[in-house]
Amino acid sequence: MSGVSLKPRAAFEARVDLSGITPAVTCPLTLLELEGLPVPYGGKSVKLAELFFIEGAPEGVLLIEIGDVRLDGVGAGMQEGELIVDGVVGAWAGRGMGGGVLRISGDAGDFLGAELSGGRIELAGNAGAHAGGATSGSRRGMSGGVLKIGGSAGARAAERQRGGLIVIGGDAGEGLATDMIAGTASVGGAVGPLMGRGMKRGTIFTRTVPALPAGFIDTGEQELVALQLMARRVPELKAVIGESVRARRLVGDTLLGGQGEVLVPA
Amino acid sequence: MIRNGVEIRDNFAEAFPMVGTRLIVTADTPDWALTAGRVTTGFATSVIGCGCEAGIERVLGPEETPDGRPGVSLLIFAMDFKQLKTVVPLRLGQCILTCPTTACYAGVETGKRVPLAKTIRYFADGHQISKKIGDKRFWRLPVMEGEFVCDEDTGSVEGVGGGNILILARTRGAALRAAEAAAAAMGKVEGVILPFPGGVVRSGSKVGSKYKGLFASTNDAYCPTLRGTVPSQLTAETGSVMEIVIDGISFDAVAEATRVGILAVCDIGAEGGVVAIDAGNYGGNLGPFHFKLREIMGNEGGAA
Repeated sequence: MSGVSLKPRAAFEARVDLSGITPAVTCPLTLLELEGLPVPYGGKSVKLAELFFIEGAPEGVLLIEIGDVRLDGVGAGMQEGELIVDGVVGAWAGRGMGGGVLRISGDAGDFLGAELSGGRIELAGNAGAHAGGATSGSRRGMSGGVLKIGGSAGARAAERQRGGLIVIGGDAGEGLATDMIAGTASVGGAVGPLMGRGMKRGTIFTRTVPALPAGFIDTGEQELVALQLMARRVPELKAVIGESVRARRLVGDTLLGGQGEVLVPA
Repeated sequence: MIRNGVEIRDNFAEAFPMVGTRLIVTADTPDWALTAGRVTTGFATSVIGCGCEAGIERVLGPEETPDGRPGVSLLIFAMDFKQLKTVVPLRLGQCILTCPTTACYAGVETGKRVPLAKTIRYFADGHQISKKIGDKRFWRLPVMEGEFVCDEDTGSVEGVGGGNILILARTRGAALRAAEAAAAAMGKVEGVILPFPGGVVRSGSKVGSKYKGLFASTNDAYCPTLRGTVPSQLTAETGSVMEIVIDGISFDAVAEATRVGILAVCDIGAEGGVVAIDAGNYGGNLGPFHFKLREIMGNEGGAA
């Protein structure tokens, strides 16, 4: 089958781990092989066909027709192709993804795009905690690619991020960019408390000056050539930068020797 | 082949492979972008003494540049890649970084990478900021004026250096007017530069010299004051010769500039004092690229 469409047979009674089911895995398989794919389901392993009706879809695409909060690890480890979810997903969606496109029309659970290293995730709804962050025990979060969140993000988005771009259309929760190492994030709405603690490098775009920890220093409003360069090279940042050539620049977290920055385009 | 009274001689320009790159330099105003462009491509007429050949390829409007400001595109050519990697960061550091309001971007995406900010970022003494989104990395260096923005590196092309035409005219004034017209027309061709002052060389050279250790010396066959004393290429009425040297990113770009230049000279014609158009070569054995004047002009050359 060149493309695969999965439609849940019924509401799931336990959590489903879809992390092995990526377009690169499903697309070369025949219908028979697909039906027998083992999928962790609660405490046991079941065949894919026990959970989903399997049908064809356009070349290179894996389509999940009805989303569910119990679908974990959707698109995790994906390297190529396109995975589309019509609805919501659970935790770990796009975790460790290195390429391809993951589109989710609903909300996502915690750890969306955690340790993303390449490719693109587009979420229409809201994300849970730790979007683009590091998984438990890991030193580094997202390192590349683009994570676009149409709605709001939960606590600790961009935690330990070290590269790539996170664009949050709505609000960001508590502890945004905690221990951020490098990379870029932008927030279209309000920013929660305790943002940027331990930030080493990296850039956060916000619309208004957020409440920042004591280690941040306000360098005042600056005229920056880089603003319009970024607005042109990175279409996702056009919304937050607009036509601005000036931005307030706040540097931190200097208490930890950090040189990160919060830019508030004027 | 004669066009408008100007003889187009059955000769060819002999050109060499060069390695080149393109930089896009922007600034707050068109004047400052031009200043940066002129300074960066200054003292870059010939690889013989300057290490590279460089020039302003064209002026860019704000809508054509990466940061939406007016700019210029520069071409820099060297004999080999190692030399190019040496001269580009030097000129970037001394001429672009120092010029008020400028920023510098890659003008070629393909080919071997020539370092830009990759080398000069250390000027920022640890305060440099890198930004990588997608595959492109650029750097921001805090400077007294504000911030210098510069791409990490730029690509390179295998180009052609040393394309040329010689304009033979009755007087120095006529030769200069024809050369000015040719340089103006050739400057509009994309992908080429005319590295000499104002695009024109008055002291074209031949290979070698009677003096040991000198690689190039005056092209005596075209010196009007030596006519008759050496094997001369000049007719009795020729009083002055100007050369236009062309470096380009491809054979086709140099050929097109040659064509446009010859047309501009022929438009001035015999009435304007032009006698003939010739080209410089070394017998055809040294350079792999031959620009045959009559072939390039084809049907545009007029009566044979």
